[in-house]
Amino acid sequence: MDSILSWRAAKAVAVALATLAAALAASSPASATPGFARQTGLACEACHTVFPELTPFGRLFKLNGYVFSNVKQLQDINEKDQSTLAMNEIAPIGLQLQASFTSIGHSVPDNGTGVNDLAQKNSVEFPQALSLFYTGKISDNLGAFLQVTWNPTSNSIGIDNSDLRFADHASVPAIGASDFIYGVTLNNNPTSQDVWNSSPAWTYPYILSNIMVSRIASALIDGQLAQSSAGLGGYVWAYNHLYLEFSGYHSAVTGFSNHYTSGPELDSTYSGTRIDGLAPYWRAAWEQDWSRNSLMFGTYGMQANTHTQGIGFQGPTNSFTDVAIDSQYQYIGDNNILSAYATWIHEDRTFNAVTTSNPSNTLNTVRVTGSYFYDRKIGGSLQYFSTTGSSDALLYGAGTVTGSANGSPDTQGIIAELDYLPWLNTKLGVQYTAYTKFNGASTNYDGSGRNASDNNTLYVFVWTAF
Amino acid sequence: MNAHASALAIACLLLAAPAAAAAEATGAAPDLVQRECSTCHGLHGISTAPTFPNLAAQPAAYLEAQLKAFRDHSRADPHAQAFMWGMAAQLTDAKIKEIAEYFSKQPPAPGTSADPAEVAAGRQIFENGIDAQGVPACMACHGDKAQGNEVFPRLAGQHRGYIEKQLEAFASNLRENEIMHQNATKLTARQISDVAAFLSSM
Repeated sequence: MDSILSWRAAKAVAVALATLAAALAASSPASATPGFARQTGLACEACHTVFPELTPFGRLFKLNGYVFSNVKQLQDINEKDQSTLAMNEIAPIGLQLQASFTSIGHSVPDNGTGVNDLAQKNSVEFPQALSLFYTGKISDNLGAFLQVTWNPTSNSIGIDNSDLRFADHASVPAIGASDFIYGVTLNNNPTSQDVWNSSPAWTYPYILSNIMVSRIASALIDGQLAQSSAGLGGYVWAYNHLYLEFSGYHSAVTGFSNHYTSGPELDSTYSGTRIDGLAPYWRAAWEQDWSRNSLMFGTYGMQANTHTQGIGFQGPTNSFTDVAIDSQYQYIGDNNILSAYATWIHEDRTFNAVTTSNPSNTLNTVRVTGSYFYDRKIGGSLQYFSTTGSSDALLYGAGTVTGSANGSPDTQGIIAELDYLPWLNTKLGVQYTAYTKFNGASTNYDGSGRNASDNNTLYVFVWTAF
Repeated sequence: MNAHASALAIACLLLAAPAAAAAEATGAAPDLVQRECSTCHGLHGISTAPTFPNLAAQPAAYLEAQLKAFRDHSRADPHAQAFMWGMAAQLTDAKIKEIAEYFSKQPPAPGTSADPAEVAAGRQIFENGIDAQGVPACMACHGDKAQGNEVFPRLAGQHRGYIEKQLEAFASNLRENEIMHQNATKLTARQISDVAAFLSSM
């Protein structure tokens, strides 16, 4: 009996590890970039309220393709006096360092082979992440946000959020659009191309511990395709109010080989989610700015059929349809900065590639965040989060720590954070995540006696970019 | 939606874009204004947020002087450093002239309403100064309608918050200008607020 229990525990911890690794791969350190500051000559506060949240100016900088530059250019023209090259004389590069301390409410079981170190209650990571950026202009109308990050879990350097973007201005007087921006983005994370901080890729919490226990379910658009997909899309920003985008995402697995290059069959060893064909993504938003206020209402979503891990691009697929609404409000005063964001994501999820109890399930995600900063120096944020959905004992299976005893994905709680920024590019923070419910229950959620509050996480960090 | 429909939709977007670009451009805003200045100051020099001043109908000589002061860092108030030092870094004299000319020819910002008592108190200071505090009438330099004159800026219709910030910056010498320093240090916070209310309502 004991040996079965410990085997189960070991299996659960192994699953937890895999989940953590996947979550880490999916969560990218959100970033303000010194490269942009170097290129534009503007201080962080031009584009960010407090990094990485964007101001209206920051949103336009991104929509314009990161090309706005105030440094000397290497340039060329052709015989028609058209520009053929306009590149920053000095590359807009930057570094980012994050270091942290994490304390989990109750340590996870320490009886799995090779995972002993994770059982500790307190962990220090130095660095938690170290990133190199190239962020800025490539030529007229063409810019990039490129980030590579060293990941302590795998002790490797990998591609983080990346966005290659073309943008230009045009006018169509016939529809009253005297000046609008249109652009094309090629990126590797659905919603990372977005300019508001209410959609998943760039929302609060902007930084999280690597060592937290991961909940059993998240919507596909909520980070599950981050850095493992490639999306090409077009957008317009018109009337200074309206944003419309349509993109298509395909799986983009790094490091693959195929049988022609004497490797294994294409993608068959890749452990993440793979999109079958092309997954459409859409985004519409309306922003109203007045005086020091900015208010946005929007909707976004995607539909994807995916293959589960280990079976290549063959066989039955799982189907995810995500429909979301979101809103953001900002008051940007000289001293007082107030922000609020909210999003609701509804997901219909049908699993044909794995066995589930129900033919289809739903998953609803809600996040409501409020944030206040004084003088861009000291402030805090508070978020209520909730994931609820239909119970499915096979989909949300039992398992120590990471499983659900009652087959419910429901997870709810708050994340509170206090920040101090001695300089605009350096943030010292204390964050506390408190769960009222985890994987379906408040107490004994995993059937092995673990309570939701045992996963409460205290996280202390330093985050700097230079 | 299937893959073909998605691909088609993207293709349509991509094809539509250059066609839109080819559409006849309206307005005579220089390219630089359209792509950069307008982000904060508005395409026609009327801004949304009071952090950024209205530039419409501002005397060209004043705008030129300020852009050169940003470029050589002689204007160094906090927002100048955060925003305009970078913006002006690579501007040539010819570009500065072009931008200044453009904004000076735009129709002025309409005033915004403010508390009548504050407006009346502000008007009094603007037209007559405050003898007891040694503050001269603002209109002596800025014009009887606060329309500005050469290097003296237009103040009519300017954002209240911006005027208040500038007077505070003159007083603390974060924005260096000897005459305005003398004037601003003599004004109380209440008087600064009143005069800003009046000017923004013009």
